Amino acid sequence: MKKLLFAKPDLCSGCGRCTYACSAVKEGLFQPSKSRLRINNFSLRGYSVPSICFQCPGAACQKACPVEALSRDENDVVVVDAEKCNGCGLCVAACPYGMIEQGTTGLAYKCDNCGGDPACVKECQPGALVYQEQDKEIVKVKGLQMKQRSTSGIPEQKRHALGLAVLKVGREE
Amino acid sequence: MKTKMNLYAGKLLVVDLTTKKITTEPLRRDWLKEYRGSWGLALRYYWEAVSPQVDPLSPENQVVIMTGTFTGTLVPMTSRTCLVSKSPQTGTILESNIGGAFGPELKLAGYDGLILKGRAESPVYLQIIDDQVTLESAVALIGKGIFETEKLLEDAIGTPEAKCLAIGPAGENQLPYAIIGADAYRQFGRGGPGALFGSKNLKGIVCRGTGAVRVADMANFQQRVTRWKQENLLSEANAWVSTDGTPGTVDMTNELGLQPTRNFTKGVNEKAVGVNGDAVNRAKIGDRACNSCPMACGKFTRINGAEMEGPEYETLVVGGSNCDINELEPVIRFNRLCDDLGLDTISCGATISLAMEMNEAGRADHGLCFGDADEYLKIVSEIAHLSTPRGRELAQGSKRLAEKYSSTDMSMEIKGLDMAAYEPRGNYGMGLAYATSERGACHLRAFLPFHETPFDLDVMSREVAEGQNHNGIKWALGFCQFWGTLDFEIMADLLSAGLGESVTAAELATTGERIWNLSRLFNLRAGFSAKDDALPEKVMKRKLEKGPHAGRVFSQEDFETARQKYYAYRDWDENGVPSQQKLVELGLDSI
Repeated sequence: MKKLLFAKPDLCSGCGRCTYACSAVKEGLFQPSKSRLRINNFSLRGYSVPSICFQCPGAACQKACPVEALSRDENDVVVVDAEKCNGCGLCVAACPYGMIEQGTTGLAYKCDNCGGDPACVKECQPGALVYQEQDKEIVKVKGLQMKQRSTSGIPEQKRHALGLAVLKVGREE
Repeated sequence: MKTKMNLYAGKLLVVDLTTKKITTEPLRRDWLKEYRGSWGLALRYYWEAVSPQVDPLSPENQVVIMTGTFTGTLVPMTSRTCLVSKSPQTGTILESNIGGAFGPELKLAGYDGLILKGRAESPVYLQIIDDQVTLESAVALIGKGIFETEKLLEDAIGTPEAKCLAIGPAGENQLPYAIIGADAYRQFGRGGPGALFGSKNLKGIVCRGTGAVRVADMANFQQRVTRWKQENLLSEANAWVSTDGTPGTVDMTNELGLQPTRNFTKGVNEKAVGVNGDAVNRAKIGDRACNSCPMACGKFTRINGAEMEGPEYETLVVGGSNCDINELEPVIRFNRLCDDLGLDTISCGATISLAMEMNEAGRADHGLCFGDADEYLKIVSEIAHLSTPRGRELAQGSKRLAEKYSSTDMSMEIKGLDMAAYEPRGNYGMGLAYATSERGACHLRAFLPFHETPFDLDVMSREVAEGQNHNGIKWALGFCQFWGTLDFEIMADLLSAGLGESVTAAELATTGERIWNLSRLFNLRAGFSAKDDALPEKVMKRKLEKGPHAGRVFSQEDFETARQKYYAYRDWDENGVPSQQKLVELGLDSI
């Protein structure tokens, strides 16, 4: 089985160092708004939920692309071919988790697990982000996150909806 | 167009609340080398703009909020952002400092800081979405607590990723110890910053920033950051930050006999087991961090449906041991109420404990008794809302309350700021640090509770001055107090890498000293002098009870010796005025 990036919200402290590390690697800048993963912070409830790309089997983004600019690489990761992407944005609308977005030129960008060495995981001190093969525990926490699918809204709203759904379970009375 | 700056956004937002005019201005690059950021830069801007004689709550006063040089980067523990103004609680210069995520968001929106002037005609909030900045009506938010205000501001701006500053009823009522809250449980806490917003009719600020912070050479910068994080920050000496956070300190100060108990009458609380680090850890359901901090000192707790991030050490002691409240649940409820209604837990706890002692001595009865948790919880809302006669009296703070009832022998404030939770009779260094702090009895300028020779006045006077200078530049760069092993060399190395120009440890040390001396000049011109660098009567005359320092005072004579040694070390004269030579050395002679 291939290793993938997973999130364990119960361990996330909300620091967002992953988003600084990601944007540093991908953009050469500290720009969390361009990070390929995000942290939904619920400060009042003391809880945070990472939004990550699940590299979904039968990925909605890939299916929606009219020009086959999205494909699955040898690590099971969905990657964007910048040459082929026409900037139509259908992938952005299709992703139920808000995890593919467009830059100023329209080019789609998303998490590619840094080619097998994710920068975010190395910065995650509490161990809320892991890069590993799927196991029983991961199936459970990932399942809870993937259950919250949004069919409309902008990426930020979709991420927030997932965050709220996970928060509800994570901060059960 | 000017080239983009490394580490800095390069401009400030200037908001005149009277005229509703919003402008931006380029950062004064000529001040950066001397003041760097945050505390230093905010102080320099404030000094330029406002007379030291200004009434803090008048429209003529200004508020400067400034991010740290490293804020908005991967340098650990650097989200911290300063507010500089004149304090409504003390009348001194005020520097108040917040963590959380507002500072980074502001810089990512394109501003190193913002300057607030004037006074709005009716309640407003400031909305910042990158370069779209507007003032909006806050009439519908008046009377609401900080938690709800933050939620409503996020809803109004239409993005849950926004970050807020907000005041509660205490700030609206301009109480001298009102806070500005952020991320629910983070505060510009001390010296009355909430009253400053209240006086300007500013209910809050909501900010969304999607921009970037750049550095000279990202690969090199990241390598340095990782190196210092791994080799220095994540070493054993700093591990307590993650494992226990500040509540672990309760047992330590108790063992050392430094724990303020029953309004600073005893140095040990035998019942502290109910409010110590273990008690907090048992109630803990998660670890919380400020933006870009890998340590996560915040302990999120829950007992019987009451949940919050905290309480921190100061609240556990000043709001716990010092009020003889020895169970965690009421302290959690007290802390949460203060955070929501907008009160500084230290000053609020200290004012309550003073009322408790006055009551016990038969001097005044506010219905508050040591150990009575019910009344202790009731009074918080009465203070914030000014809803009862006793609430209105306590809302004035401990200094005025003690004066009213001829009980200044019981109050524990300096320059009007209530003392933090370290007993100065058991540690003369802390006494001197409180007395010489520019904003009153603050523990964060020089932190010496665990020093090995706390009664050696030569060592203590030096350590206090050095600590103040060190924290001056540490704050200016945006660092948190809790990176305890951070030194000038690491700061200089990171700054050199980020800016792409050579910065020396020595010049950073001088910047820290410059910040401290400029604060001093402000206070001197505001009318403060050596006589105000004083200790409460209780510390000098009343013997401490219980523990290793039982029977001890910090006498007037010893204190005078310590203060003169401190002035001499600083090259200040016996009246606490910096020498001309010192001012020339620091470039402050013609300022």
